[in-house]
Amino acid sequence: MTAEPLTAPAPDAGVPERPQKPAPSALLIVGLLAAAAFTWWAAREIEFTLADLFTNFSNGWVVIEQFLQPNWSFIWRVWEAWVETISISIVATCVGVAFGLLFAFMGSRVTNRSGWLYRATKIFLSVIRSLPDIAYVLIFVALVGIGALAGILALIIFNIGIAAKLTAETIDAVDRGPLEAADASGAGTAARSRWAVMPQILPNYLSYCLYIFELNIRSSVVIGIAGGGGIGQVLNVQFSRFEYENVAAITVAIFVVVLLIDQLSQYLRRRFV
Amino acid sequence: MIELKNVTVRYPNGVVGLDGVDLEIPDGQFVVVVGLSGAGKSTLIRTINGLVPVTSGTLTVDGMDVSGASKRELRAIRSKIGMIFQSFNLVKRTSVMNNVIMGQLHDIPGWRALIGAWTKEEKEKGYQALERVGIVEKTWTRASELSGGQQQRVAIARALAQDPSVMLADEPVASLDPPTAQMVMKDLQRINRELGITTLVNLHFLDLARAYGDRIIGMRGGKVVFDGTGAEADDAVFEKIYGRSLTADDTLSSNA
Repeated sequence: MTAEPLTAPAPDAGVPERPQKPAPSALLIVGLLAAAAFTWWAAREIEFTLADLFTNFSNGWVVIEQFLQPNWSFIWRVWEAWVETISISIVATCVGVAFGLLFAFMGSRVTNRSGWLYRATKIFLSVIRSLPDIAYVLIFVALVGIGALAGILALIIFNIGIAAKLTAETIDAVDRGPLEAADASGAGTAARSRWAVMPQILPNYLSYCLYIFELNIRSSVVIGIAGGGGIGQVLNVQFSRFEYENVAAITVAIFVVVLLIDQLSQYLRRRFV
Repeated sequence: MIELKNVTVRYPNGVVGLDGVDLEIPDGQFVVVVGLSGAGKSTLIRTINGLVPVTSGTLTVDGMDVSGASKRELRAIRSKIGMIFQSFNLVKRTSVMNNVIMGQLHDIPGWRALIGAWTKEEKEKGYQALERVGIVEKTWTRASELSGGQQQRVAIARALAQDPSVMLADEPVASLDPPTAQMVMKDLQRINRELGITTLVNLHFLDLARAYGDRIIGMRGGKVVFDGTGAEADDAVFEKIYGRSLTADDTLSSNA
């Protein structure tokens, strides 16, 4: 057997042969074309057109004029609704994240060593997350009537879903070393979760709690419109009475409140992690 | 006494960790286990406290059967066996005291464990364990603020707080610098002498093994290939255990 030379002989042209860049995948091109065709078809199905935006715009002038003269004093007249919105968010966040933490421990293989309970928790949580917050409000309004209670219950369910999902994923990623040490010393499942896992996830968990509080304040409009109490309900009433000056004032105020709470919560979250 | 009779461990992926190992380790002995990585040292240590299940054969610790233990029995057995690790395995985001009390969690009732309401006696046991390794002044420091050597001593204190009859150490000094490694080995030896705790240490430095081991067990391919005193374990023996000639990397002092 003759040894082959390690370097290829130089080609005649003097330029060594380079690896060919692979051709673009045919599947990708077909996929992009299909997506474009599908979009065009969908727009045609719903007869999508921007014409209404221009033809109906003149009707909107009356509304816009009222909008541009917000009735600022109205913000203070509905003080109680603001308090209600903040209270709904606080109560729903506290209860939701507490249960969320419990379900997070049950929904991670790291802390839940029972196979069937883990799977049951996972299924339960994905069922909970499959509905948006407004759907829960509608359900609870039907069950307990219009008002803050329906809003609180709806947000609690919604919050459990988010808190459990985010926290369970954090638990999946903890350093397993302390868990091994806890196991080696004969610690039980609850004790090892509390002392080998909880300290590791605490900063992230607190950050999720604040994030969920933010979400709850932001969804207060939608909650109220669906009958869950708070400032959203005031907004809905003013809309149906065509009191657009009041609507404008509330809208601006909601902007400011959400922005402030976002900033505060982001500042706190930065300090936790 | 730790007794292994024809113990075989086969991992789910088919790798054989221990291959028909017979061993008897009397109470109070300081045993050093040497061998290349993959030789089965870690498996041996982890089999003794049931972290790795036995595939066949019998393993007893102080007369308790580890190989056939239920989950509850296994927890009771483990509570009597302290363990320390190469990477210390402390919870860095909490105090040294909370870490040391983790060693006692097996007999603290659930609700007190959940809220961290430790009794005076439990804390006292923690202080005593920390005193024994000489860092009681760090009791209320966060574990993350300690150096590697200090963290390994906290880990030793955590194991001591269990009141163990056996101490297992899996490469306890592999992440430490040579002087700190010597100090941690001295701590382990002193604890073994003072409290009579049977101690099994995995090491890969020959000089440390000779200096501290009452008995040296050499492993290769999941089998015990040498079992004797430190004096008997000369370079020729180590070459047989390692299956190659020795290099400077095999001793701690030359790595300094």
